[in-house]
Amino acid sequence: MNASYRWLLDCVPGLKLTPEEMSEHLALRGAPLDGTESPGKGLEDVVVGRVISAERHPNADRLTLCEVDGGQGVVSVVCGAPNVLEEAWYPFAPVGAVLPGGLKLKKVKIRGEVSHGMLCSAKELGLGADHDGIYQIHGEFIPGESFIEAMGLDDVTMDVEITANRGDLLSHLGIARELAHSGKGTVLVPDFPDDPEVSLTFERDVEDARLGPVGIRIDDPDLCSRYLGAVIRGVTVKESPAWLQQRLRGAGARPINNVVDATSYVMLELGQPLHAFDLNRLEGTSIVVRRPREKECRFTTLDEEHRALSSDMLMICDLEKPVAIGGVMGGLESEVTNDTVDVLLEAALFNPQSIRATRKILGLSTDASYRFERGVDPEGIELAVSRAVALILSTAGGEIDGPVLDCCPVEFEADVVSLRMSRIEQVLGVDFSNSEVRSLLEPLGFRLLDEDEEVVDVRVPGFRSYDVTREIDLIEEIARTHGYDKFPAEMRPYRPSNVPDHPIFELEDDLRRALASRGLFETQTPAFVPESEGDVQVANPLTSTEPFVRRAIVPSLLRRVEHNFAHGNRDVRLFEIATSFRKAGTGEPPHEETHLAVVMTGRREPSHWSRQDEFIEAWDLKALLETVAHISYAGAAKIAIVPDVAAPFHEGTGFGVINQEGVNVGHGGLISSSDIDVPVWAGDIWGFEITLPSNPLRLPAPEYVPLPIFPAIERDLALVVPTGCTAAELDLVIQDSGGALLESLEMFDLYSDPENDNEVRSMAFRLRFRSEDRTLKDKEVDKSVGLILRRLKEQLDVEPRG
Amino acid sequence: MTDNSLVAVLKKFETEGLAAVRDASDSDALEQVRVDLLGRKEGSISLVLRGLSDVPPDERPTVGQEANRVKEVLKKAIGERESSFLEGVSVEYDDLTLPSRANWEGAIHPITQAVDEISKIFRELGFTRARGPEADTEWYNFEALNTPLDHPAADEQDTLYLKDSVLLRSHTSPVQMRTMEKYDPPIRIIAPGWVYRRDTYDATHTPAFMQVEGLVIDEGITFVDFKATLAEFARRYWGPDTEVRFRPSFFPFTEPSAEVDVKRVITRQDGAQEEMDWLEIMGAGMVDPAVIENAGYDPERYTGFAFGMGPGRIAMIKHGVNDLRRFFENDVRFLGQFTS
Repeated sequence: MNASYRWLLDCVPGLKLTPEEMSEHLALRGAPLDGTESPGKGLEDVVVGRVISAERHPNADRLTLCEVDGGQGVVSVVCGAPNVLEEAWYPFAPVGAVLPGGLKLKKVKIRGEVSHGMLCSAKELGLGADHDGIYQIHGEFIPGESFIEAMGLDDVTMDVEITANRGDLLSHLGIARELAHSGKGTVLVPDFPDDPEVSLTFERDVEDARLGPVGIRIDDPDLCSRYLGAVIRGVTVKESPAWLQQRLRGAGARPINNVVDATSYVMLELGQPLHAFDLNRLEGTSIVVRRPREKECRFTTLDEEHRALSSDMLMICDLEKPVAIGGVMGGLESEVTNDTVDVLLEAALFNPQSIRATRKILGLSTDASYRFERGVDPEGIELAVSRAVALILSTAGGEIDGPVLDCCPVEFEADVVSLRMSRIEQVLGVDFSNSEVRSLLEPLGFRLLDEDEEVVDVRVPGFRSYDVTREIDLIEEIARTHGYDKFPAEMRPYRPSNVPDHPIFELEDDLRRALASRGLFETQTPAFVPESEGDVQVANPLTSTEPFVRRAIVPSLLRRVEHNFAHGNRDVRLFEIATSFRKAGTGEPPHEETHLAVVMTGRREPSHWSRQDEFIEAWDLKALLETVAHISYAGAAKIAIVPDVAAPFHEGTGFGVINQEGVNVGHGGLISSSDIDVPVWAGDIWGFEITLPSNPLRLPAPEYVPLPIFPAIERDLALVVPTGCTAAELDLVIQDSGGALLESLEMFDLYSDPENDNEVRSMAFRLRFRSEDRTLKDKEVDKSVGLILRRLKEQLDVEPRG
Repeated sequence: MTDNSLVAVLKKFETEGLAAVRDASDSDALEQVRVDLLGRKEGSISLVLRGLSDVPPDERPTVGQEANRVKEVLKKAIGERESSFLEGVSVEYDDLTLPSRANWEGAIHPITQAVDEISKIFRELGFTRARGPEADTEWYNFEALNTPLDHPAADEQDTLYLKDSVLLRSHTSPVQMRTMEKYDPPIRIIAPGWVYRRDTYDATHTPAFMQVEGLVIDEGITFVDFKATLAEFARRYWGPDTEVRFRPSFFPFTEPSAEVDVKRVITRQDGAQEEMDWLEIMGAGMVDPAVIENAGYDPERYTGFAFGMGPGRIAMIKHGVNDLRRFFENDVRFLGQFTS
């Protein structure tokens, strides 16, 4: 809501606040400023100039040669407008001035005559779209005085942030009410010049009000509870007087003509949207408020857009056809123009939900719809009509014809809310007395009816009837008006949470620490992906290229690798813990799992002068996968070699992770180069993705194993391993046949014979034997080794190297 | 003399020999060790092997094998020690200014770090961490939280829908309801998590971002506890001199509602104290009785407060990052600035 600083001051006589103080007051009342703007912005260089003489340019029929007094002596100015009048006042931009469009004025020669500046049009000043010519201003001025000050543009337009519950603050009077309380002033509707001080009468009826040839009928009272129409005949539509234009500009609005400006003014002041129809363009000079008929499916609004209507919208119609979309926008055909003589002024109350639905369907939010959606004061409508009528009579002339027709099928009844004094203390922690409650609520328009020491009945004013309906709403008003800062803030004892810490957080913490300490960077990437990477579609996606939420995280990390490669970063080790979405049953939210993904490329370690660079390869990935699987599944998961790893991994054999139930919960391997844009220098990219358990177990506490007392004996075995036989198979046979004495087994060398196509491999194992109750004899160990070698030969055809 | 004792002698010889090799400080000393161990003099391995003749013939191969092994081990050790002199490794220790041999340093994402710091403080204040789904229903995201779908408040968060009434949650507040449905009071939780909105990327918006929700429900919880707890958090997070301000605001699921602002006092490099501008850090309020009722609790008996904050914004302020998008590009040169 744009509010004029001066207008607000006028609503609270005696209030003395600078714009900064006002901003602070409003912030502490729940309506902070988003910013301020000066309505005269960009016009600082423009002065008021008086035209001394105006003659036709000697060399051009369409130009005028003027002598202008701009305060710095009389200068000659060439003007392109035909309507320059001698002795009249105009905005004058002297040589050196900069105009809002950025134009800097220089001394120029036009058709042989020197021009020392420019007489400006409203358009050139950003004050209107008037193409007709330069902008004559009326009044008493001093040549050279600031145009901003002369025009009353030295106001401050305040952009007040109004929360969705406070429709009543979408008006100067509403904001003033909040200021008056904190500044201890009283709110009133300010006077305006030439107020005709008419006193209107209202012809109240239920659904059909009629006076002479003019009638109003409400067919759909569920969407419109009240409709007032005032007829003013004999108006002269023209530009509004300066004071009215200043007011509107101060509030960030643009003047249009006196009749429309009067409706804007009242809406900005009181919050009641109004509409003025050209009465003679209404068929049968009557209004019917109803839903559109079947054939009425298109309508042209006054912004010249053709709008498609739907059956549940509320239309303001004449006897034949729609003339406005109720509460949203008027129609082009019935709008007030310069030829309008008779006006029907509308003030109505529309159903907020219906207005909201209509403007959503139309994609058209207007000042009116914005206010109706948030609720317009049902008790303020008569004042709004009186005010608008007075303004029109004052600025456009004419006469009110008869009483105001007031069609009111649904009478407004003010809410009375019971407030228990004990409840105030239960919620706010501070005791308030009846008189304190009274002094806090009544300045805001509430009235205390019945009261005793326990319960107070509070009448809610119409302008708060939308957001104050319950006891708690009154308690908020008490807290807000008392001032949040006045409440104590002392810590008191509390009872511990009955909710256990969700174990997934602890697991995620452990994994993050483990991976960060191993040199990986945690990333955060948004969940939106192209169709190829997701199962679950977003109905209203932000971009058409990423309309799905992801099922896997590795592809998102690969995009980040690409980004890093594009910036020359060769060593990229990333991980992310995020949600994977998969389709669930119809109407069900998608199935969610927490995934951990890793991708790595580049050097294993930073370069060092003492060693050769090595690059990340399968064994580094495997180690990380083992760590992650161990932490995630509390030691119960195994790494498996799986034959069918799919994209984005290199298809074929890769790593899998098998959980305690035998389910494959992860996979990893080399990233397929077809899934990523890589520069020529890029190394292999390795990655994995693992599903984290939804309810993870903690790793069991390690059980102490007594340290050995007796010495161990080590033996190295060099084995020739035939094609197809794996390290894991060797491991299994050795462990199995080594028996209880075999304490540990370590593979420490691998050699592939190049003369044998690298197919026959030689593997060396270091075996450590130990007994827990005696010193082993070599003979015992020899026996064990002998058995191991025999079993290896029998089961795997493996022999010791000769 | 048995083979066993000879094997034991060989073992001892191996251990002592390796120690002598290690102790040799230069090539000359090493040569002397080599002669002593492997030469033909008294105490050398050749001498030890002379005892082999006393071993019974069937055990000789075993002892012989062991003797050869020890000889090879020592030869190898001498060779390695010699080459270490040749490579001049010990010379390098003369220049200790040479760069160290470091490992890669990784980092937890700066926004996660902010979540962790926030969580740590609230956990110290007796909160536990709760979680809920990221895709949820209109009921949990709006209606249960006293936000009718036809109220303008439902528009303020431009929501991403999946289908019908299923959406990507636009705030972490649905976790309030999900937690209350599952547990009885006292509730004292925070719920960090991702939320989604139909916001285009710019310096202060991303369509997906982290939020930390908080909820306290018990008998006797008042506006005073609400202020005290959040002011305590703010001072623990931003420093003990931080001023905290509560401003009226509106959220459909809290009443009274507040925005919480902090005014930090920064100590500059030169030691001078600088007071910063007010900074909005969270939206909060007393839980609306309608929400408590929707959770199946008795709103006459239980009261509470709730709050929500954006760790992304907090991380921006804390680290002086002026564009939120930096956090999501995940450039390793950026992430590498947040190693701990």
